[in-house]
Amino acid sequence: MLAGVALRAAARLGDGVTAPVLDRVLRTLASRHRRAFEAMAEMREAAVLIDPVDQPVAFLLSVGPQPRLRVAAKDAPADAGIRGPLVNLMDLLEGRIDGDALFFRRTLSIEGDTALVVGLRNALDGEDIDLVADLAGLAGPFRLAVPRLRREAARLTGMLEGARALLLAPVMGRLDALERRIATPAPAPRSSRPGREI
Amino acid sequence: MATRSLLTLGPVLFNWPVDQWRDFYARMADEAPLDVVYLGEVVCSKRAPFFEDAIPDVIERLTAAGKRVVLASPILVTTDRERKAVRDLVEAGELEVEANDLGAVAQLAGKPHAVGPFVNVYNEATLGWLASRGATSVSLGAEMPAASVASLTQEATRLGVETEVQVFGRVPLAISARCYHARVHGLHKDGCQFVCGQDLDGLGVETLDDQPFLAVNGLQTMSHTYLCLAAEIAELQRLGVGRFRLSPHTVDMVRVAKGFRAVLDGERAGGDLAAELAGLVTDAPLANGFFHDAAGAAYIGSHERMTA
Amino acid sequence: MAFELICPAGTPAALRAAVDAGADAVYCGFRDETNARNFPGLNFSREELGEAVRYAHARDRKVFVAINTYPTAGNLAPWHKAVDDAARLGADAVILADLGLLDYAARKHPSLRLHLSVQASAANAEAVTLFRDAFGVQRVVLPRVLTVADIKGLTAETGVEVEVFVFGGLCPMAEGRCSLSSYATGLSPNKQGVCSPASHVRYEPRGNELISRLGDFTINVFGADEPAGYPTLCKGRFAAQGADAGYLFEEPTSLNALQLLPELKKAGVHALKIEGRQRGKAYIASVVQTYRKALDAFERNGKVPNVDLDAVVEGARETAGAYQKSWR
Repeated sequence: MLAGVALRAAARLGDGVTAPVLDRVLRTLASRHRRAFEAMAEMREAAVLIDPVDQPVAFLLSVGPQPRLRVAAKDAPADAGIRGPLVNLMDLLEGRIDGDALFFRRTLSIEGDTALVVGLRNALDGEDIDLVADLAGLAGPFRLAVPRLRREAARLTGMLEGARALLLAPVMGRLDALERRIATPAPAPRSSRPGREI
Repeated sequence: MATRSLLTLGPVLFNWPVDQWRDFYARMADEAPLDVVYLGEVVCSKRAPFFEDAIPDVIERLTAAGKRVVLASPILVTTDRERKAVRDLVEAGELEVEANDLGAVAQLAGKPHAVGPFVNVYNEATLGWLASRGATSVSLGAEMPAASVASLTQEATRLGVETEVQVFGRVPLAISARCYHARVHGLHKDGCQFVCGQDLDGLGVETLDDQPFLAVNGLQTMSHTYLCLAAEIAELQRLGVGRFRLSPHTVDMVRVAKGFRAVLDGERAGGDLAAELAGLVTDAPLANGFFHDAAGAAYIGSHERMTA
Repeated sequence: MAFELICPAGTPAALRAAVDAGADAVYCGFRDETNARNFPGLNFSREELGEAVRYAHARDRKVFVAINTYPTAGNLAPWHKAVDDAARLGADAVILADLGLLDYAARKHPSLRLHLSVQASAANAEAVTLFRDAFGVQRVVLPRVLTVADIKGLTAETGVEVEVFVFGGLCPMAEGRCSLSSYATGLSPNKQGVCSPASHVRYEPRGNELISRLGDFTINVFGADEPAGYPTLCKGRFAAQGADAGYLFEEPTSLNALQLLPELKKAGVHALKIEGRQRGKAYIASVVQTYRKALDAFERNGKVPNVDLDAVVEGARETAGAYQKSWR
């Protein structure tokens, strides 16, 4: 739900606003999920369109030596595409559901370079990704990104009619919460993974 | 060439009427320039009783015509009856046996024997191990690319073992406990009514887009295309391959054998034979992709080979 | 003795999920062509295998390393190194298929436990005995071509521990003896460790239909709301000449032999194996958990409980496969 609102906001904010944030997000995820990002970096340079079909925008994830995440149009050119309801895509990212089972039931659809999608899915499934915990832990980077996002967003929201401003409000609230957490020491990584402590 | 290349004939893989089967071998004995003939029902043990009575005559006929007969063991051996059949084959001891499953490999230890294309020999270590137990020839699986044929043949030559490569006929791709011929006809394997006997070169299988793809032969799944390595004969000889295997079909196998003999003897260009065979085999195109490390269904022409 | 439950892991996360869900042993492979699930983004680095072994051993579970493709002629080194590294990193067993590699492992690592991979397709007592006597193989994973009756005879005759697949994808063909994938794509389970590789898969919408293609061939066409499947060649829809199109080789079903537990026990089966190193950790966790519970209940009272695995089953259909003669 929250992510959906954020996506609608992202649709209205320009690349200049979202790009630095997405860069930070990706960098933070990379530092917490080294394995998946190494695997992504080892892939040939290619773009995967991740399209939450129930949302107004999509994401373009570039894999290869320098992984990159951008907001994109739903028809942005890409080497492969994966489409499905946002909630299923996020479950998939966090490994809460089985991608194959979803696909068997046609909830997700895949286009283009299947090896790319399968490789990405496998790389991400090999991690214990928890978006909330992961992004809450990214105190440092967000110290820089969040104020800028807020400045730009404020300027933009001033230009939007009331309804759209309302739509953005929850995002702002969430960013406030994140900023408050920044003031406190970052939580320690979850310790339920003794196998990875080496 | 140090030694003369041998032309061999693999076992008939299809369920031919026994009279046709007997006549086929009679003609092979009399007219085809073959050196070795592998004989036996290797696909389905249910078919074997049809041929049992005819086998001694066929062996005699082939032997009298100067052909060496090797008895081929079945591909998939699971039941007690099938196991006994292999045991009997090994213990008969009069003729050389070609092992087509690991159980036969086990039982042939210490005796000179052939290793057939249904035993996985992918590398020189495995080949060496089999040689140490008595293998004198190894027929390589069809999916082997040229580089592997080269490495395997180099090691085989060092050990005094001959390698064999299939150069003509549909390629066996898989074996199953399930009978697909019966399944297509809505029958069960136990009550199959021997419907596989209706398709003397296998039953064609097409994709949903009407593209010919595979062929079903009882428990066996084969290529739709006919493997043809006529244009690769010179290269195979250069690699040191000693035996060249034809797999029987209803096309004129005497003509096929004579064509390959001529190419092996350097009397005819391989490409010329390939062109002739493309005309002779009317129910499917030729393919050679496996040897060129491509999809097995592909035919890589001489031009693509030069530029590859 | 209770059945040993052997579970798949394509990633360290899946391995932890399997262990936590109650696997007795987890099997996995290195991230290269030495194992038969050489899919993009999958499998273990050396470092990860070391961690995996420590994670499992700390919980009294085992790790088996599958090195079950056939080494390429002229390039045996990666397979030798895989065996050496598995031994060095403390794997409880290696799962091998190739005669030459078994010979290497038996000579180089005499104390390393050897399991025979399903890819070796040892389908009768003579073949199994060969591996036992020549290389000291202690366990055989049987190909999915045998009936329960066949298995019973083999177990009694060979004295080798028998492991059978009970859940997951089902090969209708004898494993390790199938070149269908390389016929269509040039890449095969035996050589490259891939069947119907994703690199050659395309999904194409055609009107309301979804077409799945492998190489140059259409493997299936799905109607608008029809459950779809990965275009594994033998699970495709084809038409034999003169017959209607359909699932010629095998329906898109999952093997589930849970109901056969009593018979498998009587047949002397030692270990039950779940297929699916390519599946996500959520799938692994739910299947392993379900099987763990079912096995525990079965060991307690000899009865097989009713369990629901429909949500994760391919095509939402199940079969007992070749274990029952009617499958043939």
